[in-house]
Amino acid sequence: MQLIDKLSILADAAKYDASCASSGAPKRSSRGKNGVGSTNGMGICHSFTPDGRCVALLKILLTNFCLYDCQYCVNRRSSDVPRARFTPEEVVTLTLDFYKRNCISGLFLSSGIIRSADYTMEQLIRVAKLLREEHEFRGYIHLKTIPDADPLLIEEAGRYADRLSVNIELPTESSLIRLAPEKQVRTIRQAMHSIHQGESEARAEKRAPRFAPAGQSTQMIIGADATDDSTILHTAASLYGDYRLRRVYYSAFSPIPQSPSTVPFSAPPLLREHRLYQADFLMRGYGFSAGELLDGPGNLALDVDPKLAWALNHREHFPVDLNRAEPAMIARVPGIGVLSAKRLVALRRHKRIRFEDLTRLRCALEKAKPFIVTQDYRPVLAEHCSAHLRQQLSETPAQMALW
Amino acid sequence: MHRANFDGSFAAWRAIARDLLQREIAPHQVDWRDEDSSAGLFDPVCDSLDATPATRAPRVPRQLLELLESAARFRVEDRWSLLYRILWRVTEGDRSAMLPGDIDGSQLHKRIKAVRREAHHLHAFLRFHPLPDNANGPQFVAWHEPAHDILASASSHFVERLGRSTWLIATPQDGVYWDGQRLHYERPCPTEWQRLAQAPEDQGEALWLAYYGSTFNPARLNRSALESNLPVRFWKNLPEGMLIPQLMSQARAGAQRDGQAESVARQPGKRIRHRATDDGSPSGNAGRAGLLPPLPD
Repeated sequence: MQLIDKLSILADAAKYDASCASSGAPKRSSRGKNGVGSTNGMGICHSFTPDGRCVALLKILLTNFCLYDCQYCVNRRSSDVPRARFTPEEVVTLTLDFYKRNCISGLFLSSGIIRSADYTMEQLIRVAKLLREEHEFRGYIHLKTIPDADPLLIEEAGRYADRLSVNIELPTESSLIRLAPEKQVRTIRQAMHSIHQGESEARAEKRAPRFAPAGQSTQMIIGADATDDSTILHTAASLYGDYRLRRVYYSAFSPIPQSPSTVPFSAPPLLREHRLYQADFLMRGYGFSAGELLDGPGNLALDVDPKLAWALNHREHFPVDLNRAEPAMIARVPGIGVLSAKRLVALRRHKRIRFEDLTRLRCALEKAKPFIVTQDYRPVLAEHCSAHLRQQLSETPAQMALW
Repeated sequence: MHRANFDGSFAAWRAIARDLLQREIAPHQVDWRDEDSSAGLFDPVCDSLDATPATRAPRVPRQLLELLESAARFRVEDRWSLLYRILWRVTEGDRSAMLPGDIDGSQLHKRIKAVRREAHHLHAFLRFHPLPDNANGPQFVAWHEPAHDILASASSHFVERLGRSTWLIATPQDGVYWDGQRLHYERPCPTEWQRLAQAPEDQGEALWLAYYGSTFNPARLNRSALESNLPVRFWKNLPEGMLIPQLMSQARAGAQRDGQAESVARQPGKRIRHRATDDGSPSGNAGRAGLLPPLPD
């Protein structure tokens, strides 16, 4: 099989993993050195595909032969897809070629499980080692970690990779048992723990060898089972807390060819996925807890974003006086982000905040208006009923048309 | 009215601005003319700068100079007059002029943001093409059309990235060449550089195009997200640009049903026969009876 045919198959097989981030790596430069590659902590999206998703890394599987039969996965052993396998050298060649063309910032390598978890992990490590040691590649490397692999192999992977990830796959254990019978929550969490421990050790000791400096991430598939958003957000919060994950990725389940009857064959719930990312962002960047965003079982609203939904349910905190409030409270106002909140605080050292200042800071005024007080503005009484406000501010809750 | 003629560089603007400040000449009295500005039919007769004596020594915060230098890369008709107005207001004691919440400051920061974004576009969307080995020329060439004057300040990124490899970037306005040790910047861009960068024949591109088509998930087609992240003006210089309309129409015409790329769906599939290991678990490391996929020929 030609390299280009393998590439078509193994990129198609890898695209259901949502992560393509190339950020968080330490500063590395090839100025005046052999080899290529640099990182500076910031990620670069080198292209976008027509689904609007970023292409930052060469995201491929080493092979899509797989022993497992995870129902949601296009590469499950019972799936009738074309199969291929790269040699480690072929992956190295592709990575360096795309990198020099400035098409990518690095490699995200994963694999179907072949022979055994340890064997598969060894193969992934071999690629990273070839890139780093023989080709002096200083670009970004993200390795998928096989949950059942030996912790010693995970430790070795962490020395070459910037990021390691173990996919949690599904938000609950019962779903995992039903849809991914060969995977176990226990071993998935054990692998996350090994990575977390490796990170902590490398951080604690200055001279310790580098270990996955861009941290670990995971992915949860949304909509392949019936789990609600509340459970999903609480699972995410526990992962952030227990293993200091950098990111939890939510991947709306895309229908796969020859779909088994255990998983839905419907359009990916893209808007739901979007709301989960927004809620996740509020947890990571704005100090919201999962319980604040959804205080009981159920899903996030689709018609309004989670920050607006929270504000509508907590009118007792509003309106917020932008000339007096704490920065953290200003950032909780719908339509005003963390950056604008900072800028408002800087500005009010020089002058009283007026309504027109918000226009210049490009805040989303329609959203912010009912919730703020400035020197020259108070929301009118008529705007005070939450249900009415919600109707005014909601987006059309329609999913994008499929076929 | 004072007319300030200069070459359009920030250093030259800065020298004139300092001089004007010392003579206490207010922003509305200055007409900035760089090389790109055309003379107006009704231009007022201008006073000579030397007429007014220097009276004060203005103090300018260093951070402001950095902001002004960055905003000066934004291509717009009044780029120099906004900068002078802000400089004037700050030296008069009104430091809010440099804040994003201010009427002038918001323009300043909008321009800085656009410039930063355009530098990022250079790092992201530029594509190098390898040139056939020859003794003198660069190993890689790229053609790029930035909307602002960011090439000089943003191109050292590729020095870090490509190490000892030699490369050349040409734009309609300027060009930069890395010979392995030093960066050579030229404005205007030598026509020879433009010729080299614009016409490389490149067979190797096919692999990248195959990857791009395959990593796209047609079930998630989202044109507006694509266009806001990858502005249409860049498509014509990206190898994958010509694939975009084709992939979108295929997705709409049925390939959107599931995520698989059409080129993969056309190929025959292969189910994997399941052989349990000795202990009955297919995933354990103990049994070696698992699958041995064929290695490539």
